[in-house]
Amino acid sequence: MWSRKSAMLGSLAVAMYLLGLTLRNTQLVTIAVVIFVFLTWAALLGNHADVASSGRRAEEWSGEEGVALGNVVAMRKLSSARMFEDGELNVTLRMQNTSSLPKILEVRDRVPEVMRIKEGANYILMELGPRRETFIEYTVECPLRGFYSLGPVTVRIQDAFGLFHKEKELHVYNDFLVFPKMEDLKETFVKSRVPKIFTGAVNIRQPGPGSEFYSLREYFEGDSFRAINWSAYARSGKLMVNERERDAVSDVIIIVDSRAVAETGPVSRNALVYSTRAAASLAKYFLGRRDSVGVIVYGDEVVSVDRDTGKKQLYVILTKLAGAVARGNIPLQVVVNRILPHINKGSPIIFLSNLEDDPTIVNALRDFRARNFDVTVLTPSSLEFEFDAKRIDRTGYEVMKTERDVLIGELRGLGVNIMDWEPDMLLSTALAGARGF
Amino acid sequence: MTLNRPSGDTSHLYDGKTVRSSAPSRKKLAGQVGSGSGIPEDAIPTVEIPSFIESLLGGPLVPKMKFLPPDKMVQNLQIGVYGVLVALAFLTYIISPPQGTIWYIMTGSLGLANILQLTIIAGATILGFMGTFRRDARLSLGSNLLFILAILRFASSKTSLSNDLFNLQNSPTMLSVLVVVYAVLLIMYFELSNGVIRYSMLDTSIRTNEVYVMNPKKIVSKYHRSLIINPVLATLLAWFVLSANTILPAIVGVFSGDTANRMRESVELTSVYGVALGTLFVFITVGILFGLNLPTHLQRFRERQAE
Repeated sequence: MWSRKSAMLGSLAVAMYLLGLTLRNTQLVTIAVVIFVFLTWAALLGNHADVASSGRRAEEWSGEEGVALGNVVAMRKLSSARMFEDGELNVTLRMQNTSSLPKILEVRDRVPEVMRIKEGANYILMELGPRRETFIEYTVECPLRGFYSLGPVTVRIQDAFGLFHKEKELHVYNDFLVFPKMEDLKETFVKSRVPKIFTGAVNIRQPGPGSEFYSLREYFEGDSFRAINWSAYARSGKLMVNERERDAVSDVIIIVDSRAVAETGPVSRNALVYSTRAAASLAKYFLGRRDSVGVIVYGDEVVSVDRDTGKKQLYVILTKLAGAVARGNIPLQVVVNRILPHINKGSPIIFLSNLEDDPTIVNALRDFRARNFDVTVLTPSSLEFEFDAKRIDRTGYEVMKTERDVLIGELRGLGVNIMDWEPDMLLSTALAGARGF
Repeated sequence: MTLNRPSGDTSHLYDGKTVRSSAPSRKKLAGQVGSGSGIPEDAIPTVEIPSFIESLLGGPLVPKMKFLPPDKMVQNLQIGVYGVLVALAFLTYIISPPQGTIWYIMTGSLGLANILQLTIIAGATILGFMGTFRRDARLSLGSNLLFILAILRFASSKTSLSNDLFNLQNSPTMLSVLVVVYAVLLIMYFELSNGVIRYSMLDTSIRTNEVYVMNPKKIVSKYHRSLIINPVLATLLAWFVLSANTILPAIVGVFSGDTANRMRESVELTSVYGVALGTLFVFITVGILFGLNLPTHLQRFRERQAE
């Protein structure tokens, strides 16, 4: 393949040659001929190095020799196929030259655009000896959740002057998954008022036999002596007993808005990024509390993870959240209509959305409240992201902020626990704010 | 103690206490930990709209990269460029007399054309020095263009010299050698000045960890070898092409001495058309070899030999 430099030199030579012939100027023709010869020689030397190459997935590779179908073979191994945001991935690229001639290769391992190379390099210029192999190691930082693929490996050979090159893509791909990162939550203030008749100890906001302190009350006949709070008795002179929260398993439903509008703002700071991280953190917290957690992600379709418990459920949820792509514009009302018959009455519902571009939000949340669901809304403000990024002016921001405050006020009036989640706010703080603490 | 309230109702416990139901101040609640209130790096995307030329060429004509201080390899290349530049400037002056230049055609004054031609050559040299020293591709490109402009002469079939210091004007062979050497120096200047930029880019990329180079000595030595071998081979091949007016009669002479003599005495064959004919023959041969995929066969042959 011609480079821009060789194309320019070639054009110059052609122009000089034709001009020389037209003007009968030997000097110009001679210069043109020298340039032609120079280019021809470079093409002969540079272009003859054939990169007949083959790529195979790392897992298909077995044995020390690898699959040698061509002259240059690439294989790749990853330190992990799954990680959390801001995690690091160690990549080992194995390059083999099965030819009996040495080669000077330019190798570039294609890394997804959002990734950052933390250590080493994915672009290598190397001299690979005959029947030799080399290992290239580099570390990438994965700042954003999603399904990613490393590859292909591009190999290029060119002459010393960079006039001609030959390029080949080795189709070696490795897929990996980046889960949204999670915040450790000590308390979410979200508890079911309705126990679920399952075994397991989970708090619901009702006094009863349990392990966690709920309140103090006066002693009644029949109360266990073990429940008496002697310190309180000493203070008040009345017999007081500790009331404990009733233990039960509860269902928690997390709804994540993944419509196209959810991605308004910078790539790393937008409502969808915040929502997925919050959903992951909440799922971890509730599953740790042995609740059943179900997740609904809606955008261009409604994707749901059925309620379940345990660590496996956490990874199912994380995988769905990792794959959430901002697409479509399904109204919340459609989601509510679809899930309402399937969720237990009184289950806490946590809705994560920037509340934009959906006129059905008020009605949909009213439907939840009318059926006595405990609804918590955390709304990462796309306005703040856009304003921070200086994409909207002050006046526009103020007008839209007012509209947003009116909507939030209206939802609060319906009995929805809602919090305008500002970009710098921690999830636990936002939750506490939503729950009125 | 009597049971005077339903056991489930504990609201009496909150009597007299303030229960806050509204959301607290967001500002007060805002966590201090986080990414701060500064504008995130990726908040404002940099949109670079390519110019018309850039869109035609698929990228910038000259790199806009800022380089780190030059390493030894780049410094050596710079010294090489300075040497070639001086020689090239001198030869350009020698083989491009003002007669026939565009300045002479425009002004009709030999003196003025001479001054302008010297100015162009001096400008090309100074720009070349500055471009190489500053490693600014725009200046180097300007220098290249000025050198091409200086050599464009719209007259004469034969090579003429502006200053015949070594009495070469009477020797056609030496004149041809001079022009070939000039052409090789020109192309080497293009290459070396480009090499300064290329290796500066590479060096900067290595030092900023964008590129990793394994066995850099071998890679650099290959470039150094090419800097010597390629011009020599280009000179020999070019000489072969330009000698068509002697080679062709020699070949024809095997079959017919008279025809060969007529060819030697032919004005056309010794003129620019003879050069063109030689070029045609040689490049037709090269074209056929490439058409037969000679590079690949050569590669296979070398592989077999190596085994």
